[in-house]
Amino acid sequence: MLERTAPIADAGTASDGTVVAALAGATKVFGGTVAIADVSIALRAGEVLALLGENGAGKSTCVKLLAGVYRPDAGHVLVGGDPVSFHSPLQAQRAGIAVMHQHPGLFPDLSIGENLFIGQTGAGASWLIDRGHIRTEARRLLGLVGLDADIDAPLSRLRTSEQQLVEIARALSLDARVLIMDEPTAALSQREVERLFSVVNDLRGHGVAMMFVGHRMDEIYRVADRIAVLRDGRLVGTESAADLSREHAVRLMVGRSLDGLYPHHGTVAGDVVLRADGLSRAGVFHDVSFELRAGEILGFGGLVGSGRTEIARVLFGIDQPDAGTISLDGAPVHLASARDAMDRGIAYVSEDRIGQSLVMDFSILTNASLTVLDETTRVGLVSRAKELALATPFLDRLRLRFRSYDQPVSTLSGGNQQKVVLSKWLATRPRVLILDEPTQGIDVQAKADVHAMIADLAAQGLAIILISSELPELLGMCDRMIVLREGEISATFERDSATQEKVISAATDAHKAERDTARPYLAGEQPSIASEVTGPSWRRFFARREFGLVAAIAAVVIPISILNPRMLSGANLSALAMDAGLLMTVAVGQMLVLITRNIDLSVAAVIGLAAYGAASTLHVHPEIGIVGGVLLACGIGLAAGLVNGFVVTWGRVPAIVVTLGTMTIFRGLNSLWAGGKQVSADQVPQAWLDMTSANLIGIPAVLLIALATLGVIAFALRSTVIGRELYAIGSNPAGAALIGIPARARILLAFAIGGLLAGFDGALWASRYATVDARVAYGFELTVIAAVVVGGVAVRGGSGTVLGVALGALTLLVINNGLTLVRVDPLWLQGVYGLVILAAIGIDAYVARRGAAGRKGARA
Amino acid sequence: MTERSDPAPDFVARFANWDNFLAALTIAVIAYALVFVPNFASVFNISQAIAGVSERALIVLPMVLLIIAREIDLSVASILALTSVVFGLMIQAGAPLAVAIPLTLVAGAACGAFNGILVTALGLPSLVVTLGTMALFRGIGYILLGSGSVNSFPDSFLDFGINMVGPTPIPWTIVPFLVLAPLFAIVQQKMPLGRRIYAIGGNPDAARYSGIRLARTVFGLFVTSGVVCAIAGMVYAARLANARANNALGIELDVITIALLGGISVFGGKGSLTGVLWALLLVATIRNVLGLMQIGGDAQGTVIGLLLILSLLASNAAERLFGRVRFRLASRKVGE
Repeated sequence: MLERTAPIADAGTASDGTVVAALAGATKVFGGTVAIADVSIALRAGEVLALLGENGAGKSTCVKLLAGVYRPDAGHVLVGGDPVSFHSPLQAQRAGIAVMHQHPGLFPDLSIGENLFIGQTGAGASWLIDRGHIRTEARRLLGLVGLDADIDAPLSRLRTSEQQLVEIARALSLDARVLIMDEPTAALSQREVERLFSVVNDLRGHGVAMMFVGHRMDEIYRVADRIAVLRDGRLVGTESAADLSREHAVRLMVGRSLDGLYPHHGTVAGDVVLRADGLSRAGVFHDVSFELRAGEILGFGGLVGSGRTEIARVLFGIDQPDAGTISLDGAPVHLASARDAMDRGIAYVSEDRIGQSLVMDFSILTNASLTVLDETTRVGLVSRAKELALATPFLDRLRLRFRSYDQPVSTLSGGNQQKVVLSKWLATRPRVLILDEPTQGIDVQAKADVHAMIADLAAQGLAIILISSELPELLGMCDRMIVLREGEISATFERDSATQEKVISAATDAHKAERDTARPYLAGEQPSIASEVTGPSWRRFFARREFGLVAAIAAVVIPISILNPRMLSGANLSALAMDAGLLMTVAVGQMLVLITRNIDLSVAAVIGLAAYGAASTLHVHPEIGIVGGVLLACGIGLAAGLVNGFVVTWGRVPAIVVTLGTMTIFRGLNSLWAGGKQVSADQVPQAWLDMTSANLIGIPAVLLIALATLGVIAFALRSTVIGRELYAIGSNPAGAALIGIPARARILLAFAIGGLLAGFDGALWASRYATVDARVAYGFELTVIAAVVVGGVAVRGGSGTVLGVALGALTLLVINNGLTLVRVDPLWLQGVYGLVILAAIGIDAYVARRGAAGRKGARA
Repeated sequence: MTERSDPAPDFVARFANWDNFLAALTIAVIAYALVFVPNFASVFNISQAIAGVSERALIVLPMVLLIIAREIDLSVASILALTSVVFGLMIQAGAPLAVAIPLTLVAGAACGAFNGILVTALGLPSLVVTLGTMALFRGIGYILLGSGSVNSFPDSFLDFGINMVGPTPIPWTIVPFLVLAPLFAIVQQKMPLGRRIYAIGGNPDAARYSGIRLARTVFGLFVTSGVVCAIAGMVYAARLANARANNALGIELDVITIALLGGISVFGGKGSLTGVLWALLLVATIRNVLGLMQIGGDAQGTVIGLLLILSLLASNAAERLFGRVRFRLASRKVGE
C-alpha cells in the first residue's frame, strides 16, 4: 500500500502536462447501441479535464473504460503512453488510476476506516490489519474531505452525502497518478464541495492527472482547466476552460436541430384532470405544483436526480408525500398504493424497464396482461383469447416485432421490450399516463413508433406526463414543460417558448452568478449524525446487543437462583459450562458461514457423524488414542465442510439447498455406519471419557477449549485481512468482487472451518455423552442457528460478533437450565426457544427501522 | 428489421426437459422395482407406499407456491403436529367430528396467519421467522399434550386412515391430496392469482409496480399453508391412529427437498407442479424400495439427499452450457 508522505517538492511530473492516461479512439458498443465511438481524451499531469454531456452522451462509459470495468471494442486505453488492457477494476487501481464512483460500492457493515482500506492489499502486504496505521491514515483522509465521524462506526450509520465523502476519501487513499471523479458533488453540500475543490487544487500541485464528470456549470468552470464535450457518444470539442464560454459549451452539448421528427397532435387541451399542490417529500423534492389537462402532454425536464422520477412515484402511489395534495378531477385523493392509483386511472411507465416494468422470464403475453389480470378471466380462469384481445391491439399499434406471443421478453430488443411495457399499461385504459424516459436506450425506429403512439393517445384525450432527459424529445412532443433542478421547479415553458439552451440552463445553473449558500433540502445542512444513539458513549454501550443478552441472562438467573439455589451450585454450573463449550464451538463455526451470506444446516449431522466415527473407531482401534480420535473427528468434519463449500462455490448451488441435502446424506452415512448399534461407555478407553470431564482451576476443560477457539476466531475476524474480507463478502458481494476479494476461496474457507469445528465438537460430544449412536445431536442445528441468531448475527450476512454468539449460546442454555431447575417440563423448552428467536429478530428489525428513519432526517 | 429465429433453447423449454427427465427417472425406478424387488408389486405394498406420502404430498402443494414467491415455511411439520394435537384434544373432550375438523382448520389458519403477519407486516425474513415458529408451534403442542398421545378416535375417522377406496389399492388418506392437487394446479397455471405469485417471485419490484398487492398475497399463502398442514395433521392422526406433539418430526425438509427436486427454483419465480408431482412419486418409490431392501429411514435420506444435490449440480452445469451457446448466438446479432 502506497504511503502518503509529506508533499514532495519535485515528483518529476508535477504540472508539466505529460499525458498520464488517455482514451485513444475508443469505441464501446452494448448490444445494438453504440455508447461511444472513436473518443480520444487525454488526462495530463497537474490538470483537471472536465467531461460534459447530456444524459446518455457517453460520459459514464468513458469513466468505466478508464476504471477497468469495461474494455473498449475498438481503440485503446493508454497509461503512460502504453496501451493497457484492464481485466478488472483492481488492475486499473494497481496501474495508478483511482475512481470516485457516483454510486459507491462500499460495505455498509464494515467500519468507515475499513471501508477506506479494504481490498488494498497488494502482494507482500501483511495478513494482519495494522489498526494504528488505519487510524492515522483514516483520520487524515477524513480530515481532508471534511467528514467528522467516528472511524470505527459502521458505514451504514452515515447519510448518503457522508458515504459519498467516504468514497472520495477512499479514492484519495490510493495515492494514484490519475484521479477520475464521476459526479462527486451530486450528493454534497456547499461546504463539502468547497472542501473537495481544495483537495483537487492540492492534487493539481502534486501533478495528479484528473478527470471531472459533472453537470453543474459553476463547479465545472471553477475546477476545470480543459473541457471536453460529448454528444451522442462522440467527442465534439475539447477546449481550455478559459476559451470556452458557457453558452458555447451548452450549444456543443445539445447541438442538434429539431427537424419535425415529432408528430403533432394539435389538440386543444380539455379540463384539468390532475393537479398537484405544494407536493413535498423530505430530502427529495419541495413545493411542486402543476396542472395537467386532458389531451395535453406535460414534459418534466431536468437532470438525473432532480426529483422527476420521485414525483412520478408519488403520483403513482408508490411513495407518500410529506406535504401537499394531489387532486383528480378537482377532488383531493390519497393514493396509498400502486393498486389505488391504477384503480383511479393512473398508469406509470417506469424508467427502469428491467427492474420495475418487466418480469424477464415471463412471455410477451404474460407481461402484457399482468396489469389487467382480472379482466382476462372467464369463469375465474385466465382465458388466452381474452388475454390476446387485451394485449394485441396495442402490440400491433406499436408494431412489435416478435416471433410468438409466448416468447420470453428477455429475447426481445430494448425497443420491443418497451413496446410490451407500454402495451401493458395502455391495457389498463388509464386517464393519466406518466411516461418516465420511455425511449431511453431504444432504437430510432422504435422511438418513432412510440412517439406516434403518444401523440395518438393525447389526441384521444389522455393526460400525459412525459419525463425525459432528451431535449429534442421534450421540445418536440410536449405542449408545456416544467424543468426541475434539485427538487424544485426552476422554470416552466409553453410549447413555443422553450429552446434547448433555455431548458439546459434551467436544469443546470449555467447562468447563475452566485452559489446558493442556503440549499436546504438536498444538501442536508443538519450536522452529521455521528452515531445512532446520541449521547455519551456509555449510552451506546448499553444499547448494544451484547449488553441486552447479559441483561437477559441475568433476568433468568437471578429469579431462578432465588427459587432454586441449585442453579448456582458447582455441579450445575459445571454441567452448564460443558454444554456451553459444546454449543459455542459449533456456533462460532456457523457464524463464519452466516457472515458470508450462506448457511450450514448440516452441522448437527456432521457432529453426529464425527462423534460416532471417532467413538466406534476408538472402540475397534483403541491404540489410536485420544489424539487420534480427536484428529479423526476433526478430519471427518473438515471433509464434510469442504464438500459443502465446494458445492456452494464451484457448483453454484445455494447453500440452503446444499446443506439440506448434505444434512440428510451425513445422517444417512451415520446410520449406515452405525448399523443400528451404539458405542457405549465401557467400549471406549477411559481416557477418552475423561477428556471432557477434566477440570482446570475448577473450570471444565471443554469450556476453556471453546473459549480459546472463540478467542482465536475473534482475533482472526477482527484483525486479519481475511477476516474482514469475510464481512465484506457478506455485506456487499458485488462490491467485494469488484475490488478483487477472492470470494469463492473465502467462502470455501468459512465452510471448511465450520465443518472442522463441528467435527471437533463431535469428538467432545462423544467424550461427554459416552453412549453414541446414529442419533447423536439430532435436531441440534436448530439450537445452533438459534444461538447465532439470538447472538446478533444477521442471516443476510455481513455482521455479527464472536462475543454476541457466545452470549447468545449462553442465553439459550441458561434459559434451558433455568426452566429445568424450576421444574418446567423440558418439552416446553422448544416453544421457549422459538419465542426467543422471534423476539431476537423482532428487536433487530425494530432497531434497524429506527436507524433508517433517523438517517433519513424525517421531520418529527 | 429482419426476423431472427433463436435456435438456442429458451428457459421454459429447458424446464420442460427437467420434468421429462424426472418422469423418465421415476418410470425407470418403478420399472426396476417391479422386476427386481420382490413384494414391490403387491397391492399391500403399493397402498402402503402411497399412504406413507399422504402428508408430504399435501404439504408440498402450498410449499411450492411459497417457494415460487421467494418465501419458505419451515414450520409446516410443527403446524401439522400442533393441529393434530388440537384435534386429538377436541376429540378426547368429546367434540363431534363435524365440530373438531373445522376448528382444527381454523387452528392451522391461525398458525399460518401468525407466520404471515411476521413476514408481511413486520418485514422479517421468512427463513428465520419460520425457524422460530417451527420451534414455537411444536412447543405449544408439547405444552398442550406433553409427551402423551391421544389414541382413541371415532371409528369412521380410523377407517378413513386405514381403508382403501373401493377395490383399488388407493388409500383414503391420499384422497385429500388428489382433490387439492388439481385445484392448486389450476390456481397456479390458469388463474390470475397464480400469475401474481410467479410475478412476485420473478421480480417483486415489477410486481409491485404493476399493482399487485404483495403483502396480501404472501399473507394468504402462509394462511393456506397453515390450513393445508392442518388437513395433513388430521390425515396423519387418522393414519397412525394417534395424535402426539412429536408427530412428523423433520418432514419439512423432506417436503422442501421434493419441491426443489421437482424443479422449483430456490430463487423464486420458476417451476411448476408437474415436476413436483414426479419428484413426489420418485421419492416415494425410492423410499419404498429401499425400505423393502431393509435400508432404514436415515439411509434412505442419504439417497434422496444425493439425488437433490446431483440434480442441482447437473442443472447448473446444463444452464451454463446453454448460456454459453445462447450468448455466442446472441452476440452475433447485429444492432437493430
